[in-house]
Amino acid sequence: MTDLRWRRSPAGLAAIALLAALGVAVLVGSPGGLQLANPNRTAVTQFRSALAAIPADGMVLVAFDPDIGTYPEIRFAVRSALDDLLGRGNGLAIVSYTAEGRALALAEIERLVGHGAPSSRVLDLGFRTGGEAALVGSVTSIVPDAATGPLADALRARGGGLGAFNLALIVAGVDLGPRSWVEQVGTRVPGLPLAAMTPTTLRPELEPYMASGQLAALLGTLRDNAGYASSLQTPVGDRPPSSLAILVGMLAALVVLLQAGSRGIGARVRRAVTGRERW
Amino acid sequence: MSGLFPSDAAGVVGTWVAALLTIVVFGRIFGERRVFALAQYLLAGLATGYLAVLAVREVLIPRLVGPLLGDAGAHLALWLALPLVVAMVGVGYLPRRVAAVPVALLVGGIAAFALGGAVVGTVLPQLAAGIVAPGGTGTVVNGLVALIISALVLVSFVHGVPRRRVTAAAAAGGRWLVIGGLGAWLGYLLVSRLTLVVDRIGFLAFDWFGIGR
Repeated sequence: MTDLRWRRSPAGLAAIALLAALGVAVLVGSPGGLQLANPNRTAVTQFRSALAAIPADGMVLVAFDPDIGTYPEIRFAVRSALDDLLGRGNGLAIVSYTAEGRALALAEIERLVGHGAPSSRVLDLGFRTGGEAALVGSVTSIVPDAATGPLADALRARGGGLGAFNLALIVAGVDLGPRSWVEQVGTRVPGLPLAAMTPTTLRPELEPYMASGQLAALLGTLRDNAGYASSLQTPVGDRPPSSLAILVGMLAALVVLLQAGSRGIGARVRRAVTGRERW
Repeated sequence: MSGLFPSDAAGVVGTWVAALLTIVVFGRIFGERRVFALAQYLLAGLATGYLAVLAVREVLIPRLVGPLLGDAGAHLALWLALPLVVAMVGVGYLPRRVAAVPVALLVGGIAAFALGGAVVGTVLPQLAAGIVAPGGTGTVVNGLVALIISALVLVSFVHGVPRRRVTAAAAAGGRWLVIGGLGAWLGYLLVSRLTLVVDRIGFLAFDWFGIGR
């Protein structure tokens, strides 16, 4: 059933117009002068330094827990980071603590293997249920009994827990993110550097952990993630969102905000004029 | 490109299904409600099915049933877990006193981990990091601003105590700061959601329609 009243209403027409404008903007892409990557490279430099500090044959735990609603914001940068780590010769062990993260991890593992990543350097540690309790359990044991291969053997030889890794790369969504890692793992395995790639919505929560040194690196905005991806030479077959489309959406949001604000101010003025409200 | 679908036949089918469902969801903007509702039911059903499969395949079988069937004597703790799992499954049918045991353990465990971690991992280190060391004027000003904002926001949460004029003004200021903070956070959230819409449009244009491939 089609709601024709909605379609013909100003709000409906505005929504259709916005969708059309976004469609055109996506096709136009990112014109010159509208740079998505953050010109302030501090976060990118810290992130790359954290990756560069890993020894050549080091092992990286990828805690893959993004959610479907925010993953598109960091997907292109996450793929760049995974390719970057493999290119440096590091082994990747991928684990998920959320159900959504596990679904996305499986897709990314399949993509990595499909693009020729050596199976000897990519290890699927599976899904661990229990949230923060599972994080604590991983401190002493994270390699499943069924896991085989040189990477699994090397991890077992180093103790089989989180201490076996040279870096934990936390790919986060809104569920179980870097804050839980800092609280549960950072306090128990202080020698394990924690680097995080997160959607913008987590940035306010995580900024204090960067300032206190509890996180070694943080790519916490769309612009920082775009800055990191553009700093690498190797394209990963994924593209960051169109900067023009983001600008169009932001302007539309600003219009909605101004309209709502002007309505509120107008109502207050009317009440003040009629004497029903004191200023 | 999302790159979530391989280029084989299964990938092509997956791309088509995803594209058609994306169009159905976007159809809500054009006033189409019934097919949109079907897409919602499909999402709820698939999510439930996925969670069930995940629980059985990646948790119950490899971590409970498998070890117990393999070497029952070596996993005594799992014998304790078994009745808890059974009680959780039948929580809607069992007497309240029986069902309360696994639920209480679950809630207690979550609270213990969360509270302990918050104190040791966040409150204490952040308190230590919040102490402003003597430095330049900028550092001191930043520290003072942070201190004033924190104090005002904390005052705004004080309830049930008679407030004098100064305290009430400070609480009102704290409330506005909280609202300002929430507004800023919504701005961050907007970026995430906007990127999601742009990504879906990009998926239709590039992955499905093949523009620029």
